[in-house]
Amino acid sequence: MSTTTYHLIGTRPPRHDGADKVTGRALYGADLKLAGTLHGAILRSPHAHARIVSIDTKAASQHPACRAVVTAEDFPETPDRIVDLGEGDTPLSYIRGNMLARRKTLYQGHAVAAVAATSPQAAAEIAALIQVVYEPLPCVLTAPAAMAKGAPLLHGDLRCTEFGQPTTEASNVADHFRQVMGDSEKGFAEADVIVEREFTTSTVHQGYIEPHTATALWNNDGRLLIWCSTQGSFVVRDTVACMLDLPVSRVRVTPMEIGGGFGGKVPVYVEPVAALLSKKSGQPVKITMTRREVLEGSGPTPGSFIRVKIGAKQDGTLVAAQAYLAYEAGAYPGAMVAPAATCVFAAYDIANQTIDGYDVVVNKPSTAPYRAPGATNAAFATETVLDEIAEKLKLDPLALRLKNASKEGTRRADGAKFRRIGCVEVLETMKAHPHYTAPLGEPSHAEAKRGRGVAVGFWMNAGLPSSCTLNVHADGSVGLIEGSTDIGGSRTSIAMMAAEVLGLQADDMRPSVVDTDTIGYTGVTGGSRTTFATGWAAYEAAQDVVKQMKERAAKLWKVDEVHFADGVFSAGEHRLSFKELAARVGEVGAPVVGRASINAKGPGGSFAGAIVDVEVDVETGKTSILRFTCVQDAGKAIHPSYVEGQMQGGSVQGIGWALNEEYFMSPEGRMMNASFLDYRMPTALDVPMIDTAIVEVPNPVHPYGVRGVGEANIVSPPAAIANAIHAATGCRMRHLPMNPPSVLAAIQQC
Amino acid sequence: MPSVYIPALLRSATGGQELVKVPGATVREVVASLEREFPALVGRLVKDGRLLPNLAIGIDGEVSFLGLAEDVGPEQEVQFLTAIKGGRSEALS
Amino acid sequence: MRSFDYAAPVSLAEALALLAAHPTARVLAGGTDLLVQLKSGRRETPLVVDLKKIPELKAITFDAAEGLTIGATVPCCQLTAHADLRRVYPSLAEVAGLIGGTAVQGRASLGGNLCNAAPSADSVPLMIALSAQARVAGPQGLRTVAVEDFCVAPGKSILGPGEFLVSIFFPLPAPGFHAHYLRFIPRNEMDIAVVGVGVSTTVQDGKIAAARIALASVAPTPLFVKAAGDSLVGQAPTSEAIAGAATLAQAAAKPISDMRAPADYRRHLCDVLTRRALTATLGAQ
Ligand SMILES: Cc1cc2nc3c(=O)[nH]c(=O)nc-3n(C[C@H](O)[C@H](O)[C@H](O)COP(=O)(O)OP(=O)(O)OC[C@H]3O[C@@H](n4cnc5c(N)ncnc54)[C@H](O)[C@@H]3O)c2cc1C
Repeated sequence: MSTTTYHLIGTRPPRHDGADKVTGRALYGADLKLAGTLHGAILRSPHAHARIVSIDTKAASQHPACRAVVTAEDFPETPDRIVDLGEGDTPLSYIRGNMLARRKTLYQGHAVAAVAATSPQAAAEIAALIQVVYEPLPCVLTAPAAMAKGAPLLHGDLRCTEFGQPTTEASNVADHFRQVMGDSEKGFAEADVIVEREFTTSTVHQGYIEPHTATALWNNDGRLLIWCSTQGSFVVRDTVACMLDLPVSRVRVTPMEIGGGFGGKVPVYVEPVAALLSKKSGQPVKITMTRREVLEGSGPTPGSFIRVKIGAKQDGTLVAAQAYLAYEAGAYPGAMVAPAATCVFAAYDIANQTIDGYDVVVNKPSTAPYRAPGATNAAFATETVLDEIAEKLKLDPLALRLKNASKEGTRRADGAKFRRIGCVEVLETMKAHPHYTAPLGEPSHAEAKRGRGVAVGFWMNAGLPSSCTLNVHADGSVGLIEGSTDIGGSRTSIAMMAAEVLGLQADDMRPSVVDTDTIGYTGVTGGSRTTFATGWAAYEAAQDVVKQMKERAAKLWKVDEVHFADGVFSAGEHRLSFKELAARVGEVGAPVVGRASINAKGPGGSFAGAIVDVEVDVETGKTSILRFTCVQDAGKAIHPSYVEGQMQGGSVQGIGWALNEEYFMSPEGRMMNASFLDYRMPTALDVPMIDTAIVEVPNPVHPYGVRGVGEANIVSPPAAIANAIHAATGCRMRHLPMNPPSVLAAIQQC
Repeated sequence: MPSVYIPALLRSATGGQELVKVPGATVREVVASLEREFPALVGRLVKDGRLLPNLAIGIDGEVSFLGLAEDVGPEQEVQFLTAIKGGRSEALS
Repeated sequence: MRSFDYAAPVSLAEALALLAAHPTARVLAGGTDLLVQLKSGRRETPLVVDLKKIPELKAITFDAAEGLTIGATVPCCQLTAHADLRRVYPSLAEVAGLIGGTAVQGRASLGGNLCNAAPSADSVPLMIALSAQARVAGPQGLRTVAVEDFCVAPGKSILGPGEFLVSIFFPLPAPGFHAHYLRFIPRNEMDIAVVGVGVSTTVQDGKIAAARIALASVAPTPLFVKAAGDSLVGQAPTSEAIAGAATLAQAAAKPISDMRAPADYRRHLCDVLTRRALTATLGAQ
């Protein structure tokens, strides 16, 4: 598929941040210790839904260790308006309301007030002295309950938008949209087999190991300096500036090293609160969430209610598909239901489709993106229904998928038409993979049964702006300045793309991720865009370096034209390597600084598939993952280890989502398992080595053919595991998580 | 001339036409041409010079960051996709 | 977490005096329960009394005529490494290797596991199956309590004011004796037993001469189901006999539903795990 040869791309050099990370020297947000730093603590609502009758901060303020107390009243009084802080159009009041509740609390864990004190212990003690009188209200916890007539309403002012038109009825449904292609009624009439099923999935959290943390210093010169753990320093800057009514030039955000985000560190939680506390106290203020706060007060990903109906001809041709997607946004509108609609049937060319999406508010934390947000829930439905159709038609599940696979030119129900994509290649690679035909092996005991399942998933990825600066040093090394938080090794991948242009090695590059004053605007590390977009900017900046170096060489050699190939500048008899020329740049001109900023278009989208073998203990319902293979189209794997790392990480998160993870809510809306002890993410002992197979169908618009690989890999695992459980036990699973009690219940019922 | 894919729910305004070709070098110009040709589309795509909040612009199948300001080539196709919007939403993670 | 004072007595007498003087003090063994509880605010104390420096509490003594005595603060890692213990009480070494991971086992003690009085404590059903006796020191002197009588409610034991656990005594196993602890957790590690079953059986001349069965996580305390063990006595080790005992164990369970599992699922597991654990010990003949 990919034929170009490169000297560096596709190899696996050590990462630039590796030594610091493995020796514990890398600086994360909570490592920052400015002189005089105060510690912040946030008081949170014990109720899932309540009116705030009064907040009395007197006792707290009088505590000798207290330096500041803030509530929602401390935000500047600016009228509500629609803002786009890189998260889509959102009313400012919603963003502020989630930061510190005003009038009502909408979920247990909703921040109500915050304090700064001289120690973390004192801060916690003082926060508890704030007296809040609540009037508890009935809560709703699932999309169907919130959509029911007479359900308690979260927002008095929320009116449903129906097909793009505002309606007048107060509702928990923020938005209902419909995508139509062809005529699904007609399509179903032509079908020989129709399968229609309902699915529910629980709220789950990204589970990043490092909690949210920020230090803010409202400096005496009026500038606000912030150091934090974020996926997007510019999003933090813009959000803080907007919330505190400051020009962006007054705010500088420094992204520290990050201990995971997976989408959950796109939204902002503690930064504006730390800033307000710093303003009041005149000292730097650090807020670091506890694990409980992370689970209760940050942004998990939506639970959902889904109905999928698919019709097929006897030969396996899919003729019609229908989806009803009701996603829980949490406390404020913005469930990931539009991307869910984009992805639900994206892998297949189906002429007749109708997709209804509902964005529903419920009394749970306001949801945040999580790795291909919305797509995993949807694929769980589609891919298990397809497995049933394959079973009914006695077709190989991969053959059924290949027969209907999306290709270049296939149109989705949302209207978009695919450019060159790798869906077919991923499916073919799965089919040819030794795992697909390997014997399952004997069960480990008498009550154990084994089965194999497959599924595929899609994520469209994002483009957005990125900037990059390259400083050529006299020893021929190059300092690379960029603004993308490095979550999965991106600074090395990005440096490799510039080095490839310059004929250098990865070790010749000195990449740094810098603050918002020091680099041009750069979108979040999200949407699988960083290697694609910031790497592209680095490529363009390297082209700028080459142009300037050629000019210097021309001057040095007094020639008109200079060639550059394989790291060597030449003109006639003249030849200088990149490093030799770098040493002589000073003789003939100014230092060489290459720059580029791009608005990256055409991320291309990525398909990924999973093959999984499970063993189910039919007496206990426990599912063990025996073998797992992830296949994904990377376009071009710049640093294959980091691509594999994404594929393995996404697969493991998908396994956790499939088997045990969930927000276990009491009827009163309290999260009962807000710790890593009881929020059962998989440990190293719960997953086998995840095998990977990288497919490379180059993205035609990218200089190196890159497609983002951060997300599509989480989409298929729950469906593949459900299909494997069915193969083992004969039971269809239609609820996530498929934990031991629910698998046992299914076995006892089917 | 660029082509425009009309979403099914707006096709009554184009007499059922799915793909139409209209002149324009930017999405804004393309929309203006569309509105001239199909007056029933006025207010269904753009209001007060802004794209309706439930819509996003796609060019050849991929979401455009610039929206109405995006350039469109004569061989390209413009689509009106479902916007990602709301409290915490973005097609990003 | 609130700040607290710390004391580390080096004798039983010194510890008793400290506890008499500070009724709200809490004693510390490995701290793998206590420090977590203090940090999360679930418990508060002005004084932590570390018992790890008292000789009687940090010794393992094996007497080939009497049995095994394990000091209340001996960490699991020393149990799994102890040659006599591994030879004579292999099930005990196994359960010590089951609690937490390597780091936790470097600190966690059987004494702490028992005194924490959690219904889910992994070592307690096995200790009951092994007929272990808790030796307690207090203002009135020493006393001995059967492990099955030690816990009275979640987080509460029979220990009175000023009392603490000194050691746990395990009698010598008879010929034909086998014991086994089996727990069910949804993950493979780092989880709290949804149900745990400790069993011991003694088979002599092809018949079951003695049997003890105890359950974790299905009642407010670790649950000794005497009737289930007794039902096996005098029987041949058949699957019918095992099923009968398992049914009795299941009937005795009074589990609750919570975020870790629903009650009826726990009840179902009592049957499954009791059968599997008994099959393991009786199959081991
Ligand atoms: C990561 C992790 C994993 C864990 N995994 C498991 C597991 O798999 N299975 C399991 O059962 N438990 C587990 N635990 C819980 C804990 O490790 C065990 O209960 C352990 O045995 C407690 O022993 P300790 O010595 O640390 O007790 P400590 O924490 O020191 O004490 C526990 C309680 O007993 C009291 N106490 C201690 N010693 C005495 C004494 N001599 N006299 C009177 N009172 C006393 C203390 O005051 C305290 O209330 C885990 C804990 C962690 C942190």
